[in-house]
Amino acid sequence: MKQRCLPKYLMALIVISSFFFSFQSAFASTPKTKDEALGRTLARQAVKDNKRWSTADHSRIDALKKDFTTGEEITKACISCHSEAATQFHKTIHWTWLASGDKNDIRYGKAGYSVNNFCISGNAMEDKGCLGCHTSWNKKGVKGTVNCLTCHNDSGFNFTEALGDIKAFLEDGDPDTNEIAVELQQEVKEAVSQVTFPTRKNCGDCHFKGGGGDGVKHGDLDTSLTKPNRMLDVHMGTDGKNFTCTRCHTTVDHHIAGRIYTNPAVETRKSLIEDDLAPKITCVSCHSGEPHKNDSKMNDHTDVVSCQACHIPEYARVNPTMMRWDWDKAGKKKNGKNYIEKGPFGKPVYKSVKGEFTWAKNVTPEYFWSNGSQTSTTINDVIDPSQIVKVSHPVGDKNDPEVRIYPFKIHRGNQPYDKVNKKLLAPMLSGKKGFWTTSDMDKAIEHGNKTLGIPYSGEFDYVETTYAFPITHMVAPKEKALDCNQCHIRETSRLANITGLYMPGRDRSNLIDTIGWLSVFGALAGVFLHGIGRFFTRNGKED
Amino acid sequence: MFKKNMAALMVMVFVLVSFSMAFASEGPAGNDRKGKYTYRKVYKACMKTGEVKSATPTISPADKTMGQWQEIFENKNFDEFGCMDNWTQLADKDILDIYSYFYNHASDSPSPATCK
Repeated sequence: MKQRCLPKYLMALIVISSFFFSFQSAFASTPKTKDEALGRTLARQAVKDNKRWSTADHSRIDALKKDFTTGEEITKACISCHSEAATQFHKTIHWTWLASGDKNDIRYGKAGYSVNNFCISGNAMEDKGCLGCHTSWNKKGVKGTVNCLTCHNDSGFNFTEALGDIKAFLEDGDPDTNEIAVELQQEVKEAVSQVTFPTRKNCGDCHFKGGGGDGVKHGDLDTSLTKPNRMLDVHMGTDGKNFTCTRCHTTVDHHIAGRIYTNPAVETRKSLIEDDLAPKITCVSCHSGEPHKNDSKMNDHTDVVSCQACHIPEYARVNPTMMRWDWDKAGKKKNGKNYIEKGPFGKPVYKSVKGEFTWAKNVTPEYFWSNGSQTSTTINDVIDPSQIVKVSHPVGDKNDPEVRIYPFKIHRGNQPYDKVNKKLLAPMLSGKKGFWTTSDMDKAIEHGNKTLGIPYSGEFDYVETTYAFPITHMVAPKEKALDCNQCHIRETSRLANITGLYMPGRDRSNLIDTIGWLSVFGALAGVFLHGIGRFFTRNGKED
Repeated sequence: MFKKNMAALMVMVFVLVSFSMAFASEGPAGNDRKGKYTYRKVYKACMKTGEVKSATPTISPADKTMGQWQEIFENKNFDEFGCMDNWTQLADKDILDIYSYFYNHASDSPSPATCK
């Protein structure tokens, strides 16, 4: 009995063991991150050590302990150690304001022929109103000295004002003001030593306020991103990953990764797995080309739809952004004086010196095919004033494998153009001859165009224009990403204007519909005929 | 004839210069640059007493027009500034300096104050 039972027990043991091992190996082969998307795992890996560190304590550097009287002296102290910094910086667009970096190629750039439908032109750096955002001391532009502290100091101290006041106080001979000057010197010294990698505020002081105010230009960049929470931006949120701008806008020789006028931020999408030295400027860099869970239908979208299209459902979610600027309304007076009218959101809706504006919050983006490049209509390009002039617009052929559907803010407005030469114009705004002083648009144009060497016929009118801004910041948490039915819906699809692809739910094809209905009816007919056949062939059997 | 023309010209120049001087002397004659720092000192001192949390003043010259500041300073009505104990300790000269700062950088002045 015992001998006969042994093989049975052995068999049972083998079966149980094999079952147990199969079960265990099945679990072992399952990735630990089964519940997490690969793109999230990779991104977390890429930023796991986010703590910045430095080998220098600038408060102990002797060169920074002197009594500074000018900004140039501070820069001299910086480059006494960082010997190549200014030379590198002089070659960047942040200094030249020219897209190519070549001072002889002025086709694109604030200091060149580029215009927009906000303050229109930088007038070859002659418009001092714009130079408040140039990285030189005292608004001297490329003729001046680099102000390193613009990007590398987080004290929030106003060095230009303080140094100007110190100089004035030391010269006026008043003992009281001399005392203030000494106190100010000490404050300058303390502030100078607060050297840092660029903070969100450093970048934001200009990029959040482009176009003349908070949220005027970009819909996805405004002062709400100085200290955002995770709901506003999952990457930059201080309660989230707390990214600074340079976490993605990586830097080589002071050249900062990002789109430059017509040029895309990157030529090809590469993840850090493919190229660990690639700039981290795209979503793919950290999240890879298949960012969602393995079995997710969402991964089938990434060859057509950009990440931003779904993950930035609205822009300007905290502060309002300007949506329209009409220059043709500028110049009105009340009691002979310039005036300002404020509207919803407490934002100006009319300024005598600028014209009429509209603002909006929680704006749904407009969507276009884009390969990352943009067109740029400059003041040297001939326009058709009977049409809306697209001053900047996304470029993208749907057959290009690098093209995706991206979200954009389209800023609309009107601006002056030359009725004879059929070109956009570059009025000078600030200064004695500028429109803000004279309220004379004709003279402002004459003066402004002269700075760029572009002839002006003397006759101008206003033309409708648009300016497109890619929406790439203000990435919402994944639970706030778009639902399928925001796009795959017949009447109200967000992608209603996207042509060249068939979208289930949004589109209708008579052929596909016919095939579908034929299949449905065919299946029903098959079931019915099969039932009838079984009924009549039962041969009197009841069971 | 020449003498008459010359006399007329001199009268015109005199009137013009007097007119300009009258307008030029319209604003307060304090030291506006010094006033800016005196104003800031008020809040630094005030913060030490615990009345305000920040040493940065909350009211900017660009918050009102020149006319509005004129009314406030001529009536010495500093209620909205808070920190009254510190304001009352200021000498008349200091208040004139602060008034000059606010007047010269008011919203409708040629150089309104900015945060930068």
